[in-house]
Amino acid sequence: MAWLHTWAGLLPGWLLYLVFLFGAASFFQQEISAWMRPELQTGWASNASLDRIAQRLSEIAPDAENWRISLPNERGGEPVTVSWEALAGDTEERIFDPVTSRELVIRETEGGYFLYRFHFELYAIPVMWARMFVSIAALAMLVAILSGIVTHKKIFADFFMLRFSKGQRSWLDAHNVTAVLALPFHLMITYTGLVTLLFTLMPWPLDANFPSHSAYYRAAFPSAPEREVHGRANMLAPSALMERARYGLGEVRLIMFHNPGKAGAIAEIWSRGERIGDTRLATYLDAASGDIIQRPPHHGPAFTTQNVMIDLHEGLFAATALRWLYFLSGVGGTVMIATGLVLWTVKRRAKLPDPVRPYFGFRLVERLNIGVIVGSMTGIAVYFLANRLLSLTMANRADWEINSLFIAWGGIFIWTLARPAKRAWVETLTACATLYALVPLINVLTTTRGLIPSLIAQDWVYAGFDGVMLATAAVCAFTAYKVAVYKPKAASRGKPRVPAQMVT
Amino acid sequence: MIHIAIFLILLAGFVLLLLAMARHQQDWIRRKLSLRQNHALRLSGFALLIFAFAVAVSGLSWGYGAVAWFGWLTIAAGLVVTANSNRERLMRKVRRCRD
Repeated sequence: MAWLHTWAGLLPGWLLYLVFLFGAASFFQQEISAWMRPELQTGWASNASLDRIAQRLSEIAPDAENWRISLPNERGGEPVTVSWEALAGDTEERIFDPVTSRELVIRETEGGYFLYRFHFELYAIPVMWARMFVSIAALAMLVAILSGIVTHKKIFADFFMLRFSKGQRSWLDAHNVTAVLALPFHLMITYTGLVTLLFTLMPWPLDANFPSHSAYYRAAFPSAPEREVHGRANMLAPSALMERARYGLGEVRLIMFHNPGKAGAIAEIWSRGERIGDTRLATYLDAASGDIIQRPPHHGPAFTTQNVMIDLHEGLFAATALRWLYFLSGVGGTVMIATGLVLWTVKRRAKLPDPVRPYFGFRLVERLNIGVIVGSMTGIAVYFLANRLLSLTMANRADWEINSLFIAWGGIFIWTLARPAKRAWVETLTACATLYALVPLINVLTTTRGLIPSLIAQDWVYAGFDGVMLATAAVCAFTAYKVAVYKPKAASRGKPRVPAQMVT
Repeated sequence: MIHIAIFLILLAGFVLLLLAMARHQQDWIRRKLSLRQNHALRLSGFALLIFAFAVAVSGLSWGYGAVAWFGWLTIAAGLVVTANSNRERLMRKVRRCRD
């Protein structure tokens, strides 16, 4: 069973580390997006501003085939995005401030949304492959967790045990503590993650019950009814339509109009589904009269169970305190995976037949550990720095922010290949700490929303973000210090003492 | 407010559970307690954990409260582990304040 835990954990370990790192960040993706869009003031849309925006849309795109109004949620971070499909087939998009309903020009960025998509769709590979890799890794994660529980014979006796400066024992304690103390979270997030990507891993129920996968999706998520349009008609304002559909502003994420401005136009209202078990589906109304044409279908217990599990995974229902608990548990999971990966090398380093030139597998794991654990963390810091430093008018700015993340990560990787392992850890952790500490500094130098002004204005999102950056820098610096001063004790009595340099 | 209550009750529960273990008794109170005392500590520790669950689901809804309870379990246990690992450093500070 220990063998199973080791290999189910090690082989997908680096991918799982990325999933947990980016996944933990995703719990605050709206707040991250808010920080990455400093042109957006804090504040949220109102019925009045929404109606004004719809009015403006009817002025600039009266003949469009479709209108699409995408609303930010209460946690902020996004503008109101309006797009429409002209008759020629082109799509145009405009951005509006949710509070003032004025048209805005803001920096092009993917914000926290990129971090969220990365944790299950990765980057630069076909999305379905990425989802498959992540699903298989999640399956291995579940096996690793369950086998870990079975292997951990002293799970109750060692519940409160965390001993420092004892080499391998300390790493094992750290791995055990971060695993056991948040065990309900780890089990829940892994299992619900698998259920969220259920049909990626197990498409066969769809094949058995429907002629094609699209037939299933049409049945489960029915689309707009077809309607003939003729002549012109005035449409109800979005706030009135939402009231007819019995949704408050906070519950709606998208409003679409089909054939706006014509009699027979259909309005589509998509709910956020942020309460546990809520539907995320559309209500269709007649845009002129407000009569409901089609409600979301009633779903059976299986579908509802899956929805509840997806809601638990996403944690969108969580308010501030619970959201921090989710985030801290996610960070705990990330540390659990990292300590597990390092533990593998620590355990085997003591037993190396040739400490100066370890066998290939050992070197591979050691290098991947440094490159992935520190490299990806550094990449995220550079992503935030790029958001502040890249020219506001450059082409493909959002892509270049993302590219900066991977360039930094790749740079760390290449650097570590040329260094002895211990020095590589210390140098890359120091670089990581420096870059995280730079984020609030660059923020203060490039915007008016630095840490002190944000604290004074009680802008907790901005203050919290800068605070987390500083805390991350402190943790990385502390870890670098601990690694730098660590001196391994003698292996055991009777064996010749191995000088510290030999073990790096 | 409800979150603070849940956290504090859980913290008390975990402290009792820590003290119910012989190894940690030796470190913190420098003597070993009897079997019956250990039992009592363990029972009351778990009772506080259950009580915190009751507080959570009555103050928040069933679903939300249950999730919040699990989350605070982690934080409360984590705080006890941190204090336990840094016992010597903590005791030195306490002694310095006393003198």
